Amino acid sequence: MSSPYEGEMAIDTEYDIVMARKAVRTAAVALGFGVTDVTRIVTAASELTRNIYLYAGSGIMRWHPVSGNFAGLELVFEDQGPGIADMTRAMQPGFSSGNGLGMGLPGSKRLMDEMDIVSEIGKGTSVRIRKWLRR
Amino acid sequence: MANGTISVIKVRGILLVTVPPDPDDIAVCELQEQVLQAMARHSAKGLILDISMVETIDSFFARTVSETAKMVTLMGGLTVLAGMRASVAITTTQLGLSLDKTLTALDVDRAMDMLVSALDGTERTP
Repeated sequence: MSSPYEGEMAIDTEYDIVMARKAVRTAAVALGFGVTDVTRIVTAASELTRNIYLYAGSGIMRWHPVSGNFAGLELVFEDQGPGIADMTRAMQPGFSSGNGLGMGLPGSKRLMDEMDIVSEIGKGTSVRIRKWLRR
Repeated sequence: MANGTISVIKVRGILLVTVPPDPDDIAVCELQEQVLQAMARHSAKGLILDISMVETIDSFFARTVSETAKMVTLMGGLTVLAGMRASVAITTTQLGLSLDKTLTALDVDRAMDMLVSALDGTERTP
């Protein structure tokens, strides 16, 4: 890990959720996000890495800066798990196909500025989230 | 990371538990068990969970905390969640987590006041 701004890590165990939170916190702070946005980004990363751990067993998280009208941070969560059968329901607060709270996907979307999900049954899921620095 | 070393202090029949800054899921579960065992061991009537050091509360953490409060109620105790940071309060609410049945206080000092007066009240009723 040469730069705090970007990196990649495997999500295989419960403890990797903590490691993911730490890495994302470091990147968000380094990019200049304020304490509330840092907390939002770290919390979304915690939810999405936990989804990988709970539903796919393992996967990866990647993070890097992005630029558009503003500078921002993008996080990508990829797994080769079962995929999401019903995306509309998965985005409803309170719906969970497992034993989760059903807050992970809709909650993370609310905490971030952008969220895209690509999922294919039996192939896996890729969730991309972005937060922009507004100055 | 707390390796089973969570600080539990008993003051005037109330347990004061300081939650570590960034506990993993296992540490959160251990905390729940240790707190409940300490409630029984110390015959405590109240519990203050000091979360002022906690920087992130995700759905798992929130669920475990609200479950712990319910369990403490079953054991005849009262729980106050103390010291939630502003950034955590914003994030927890926007994430859609519900801790609304849990008593809260701005800091440990106020939590102690709340519990002392609540418990005084219950003791006077015959």
